[in-house]
Amino acid sequence: MKKLNIGKDFDPDPSGRYYTDGDASGEAFREDFLKGMLQALASGEKLQIILDDGVEGYGSSFLVEGFAGMVKYGYMTKDELLSKLDIVCADEDFEFYKKKIVEYIEKAVFNSEKYIPTK
Amino acid sequence: MKKQSRKQWERDVREGIIFRKRGRAKLRDKSSGTKDISWRATNRWIDSHANSRLNVDIDKRRRITLSLPERMNFFTEYESTVLHISAIRKLASKRRLPRRAYKLGLVNFDQLKSISTSAALVLTAELSKWDDSLRQKLRPMVNNWDRRILQQFVDLGFFDLFHNCVVERPCDEEYGSTSLNLVRYIKGRCGDSDKARVLKRQLIEVVGDKINKWTFLHGGLTEAITNVSHHAYPDHKGYSARDKNWYLTGSFDEASKDLKIVFYDQGIGIPRSLPASAIWERALDILSKFPIAERKRDEVLLRAAVEIDRTSTGKSDRGKGLQDLLEFIRQRKNGYLSILSMNGLFKFSMNDGEESIKTEHFENPICGTLIIWNAKLQN
Repeated sequence: MKKLNIGKDFDPDPSGRYYTDGDASGEAFREDFLKGMLQALASGEKLQIILDDGVEGYGSSFLVEGFAGMVKYGYMTKDELLSKLDIVCADEDFEFYKKKIVEYIEKAVFNSEKYIPTK
Repeated sequence: MKKQSRKQWERDVREGIIFRKRGRAKLRDKSSGTKDISWRATNRWIDSHANSRLNVDIDKRRRITLSLPERMNFFTEYESTVLHISAIRKLASKRRLPRRAYKLGLVNFDQLKSISTSAALVLTAELSKWDDSLRQKLRPMVNNWDRRILQQFVDLGFFDLFHNCVVERPCDEEYGSTSLNLVRYIKGRCGDSDKARVLKRQLIEVVGDKINKWTFLHGGLTEAITNVSHHAYPDHKGYSARDKNWYLTGSFDEASKDLKIVFYDQGIGIPRSLPASAIWERALDILSKFPIAERKRDEVLLRAAVEIDRTSTGKSDRGKGLQDLLEFIRQRKNGYLSILSMNGLFKFSMNDGEESIKTEHFENPICGTLIIWNAKLQN
């Protein structure tokens, strides 16, 4: 199983929605990391996302843009995305973010917006 | 040389008339244009409050000495605290002013005997803004300050504002120590979310232990910083990159065990930014529950902004993320979150897991948005 450790592979301080909010935004996470890794998965393979290794916490702007943006911009359907993700955390407080990610993905409307990069 | 055609002559005459009118308009602007109106309004504002609650002395050159009141906090002394802080903002924001305009000469701390963490942060932020406009020329005069106030401001890092200025912290043995431990304030710009880690490190030092459920406070702080980038300082209101700051501090009271985290921006405020935001339509749905006369009140707009959840309708995932701010208090089940913005207050409290919401309208607006988290650590 492929792994994406947000704190180590992306940034220990993920925050903000767009590129314009800083280097560790949800848009940067989705476009520069998540999208490519998900598209490179073999059929039936999952991507393990490690939420809590070196990360203090997440704001909803980051989570909604980073994860639900995959559905909103039509990169994949919500069922396809959820079937490919395996979100894990050792800290029980981070279960809250795991639930939020799933909630945001489930509420996202497939291909409802055209993606225009902010940088 | 070439003889001018009739058509060219007529065009030149028209342009000359337009030029003369523009010139007169410019002259008129000097006496009654926008800038002029602005300083007159400030003068009127100072005059109207000088005889009541604002402690000001005005010298012959129209320089103002603003004396801070004895107590400053946003709980029991809201109007007086905001009035003095607003005076700094109004008087310090102008650079070139006519002789008749009041100018801020001195802010006198000598009478100040107690100040809350949030009032200290807002005061520091406003003085920092003033100092920026003067290109760091302010100098502190601390000889007659109350020693405990001096301790607090040294702990807060207030004197870091001033270049080449070292003020020593009065020792506890001599003046007695206060149970309130402040941490150094942090000044950040849009995108500086990593600075929340600095606050955590400092708070753990004064608390002496880890802070349970910190991750939710961190999430709220990063969302508050994102909001500053998106909403607080719109370009069309003339904010420059240098203006777009936020301020953050925290304190721990050893006696009451109260942990307080305070975040402040000097922007247009949540009620003013709401109509221009992507969530205004959803806010209108919530506002429709209130009587028409109340819908424009800041505290009602604040409440609507907080109540909008990102996923409430599925139409849009955009919002202000203000629900994130509540999460630290919700998870701890005790404490409160206060959001003061312009003339409104939204206060969310939890007492042993029971939620309550209070809103309030104030006569004088706070110049920006102040967010305060308060939690008792013994729980």
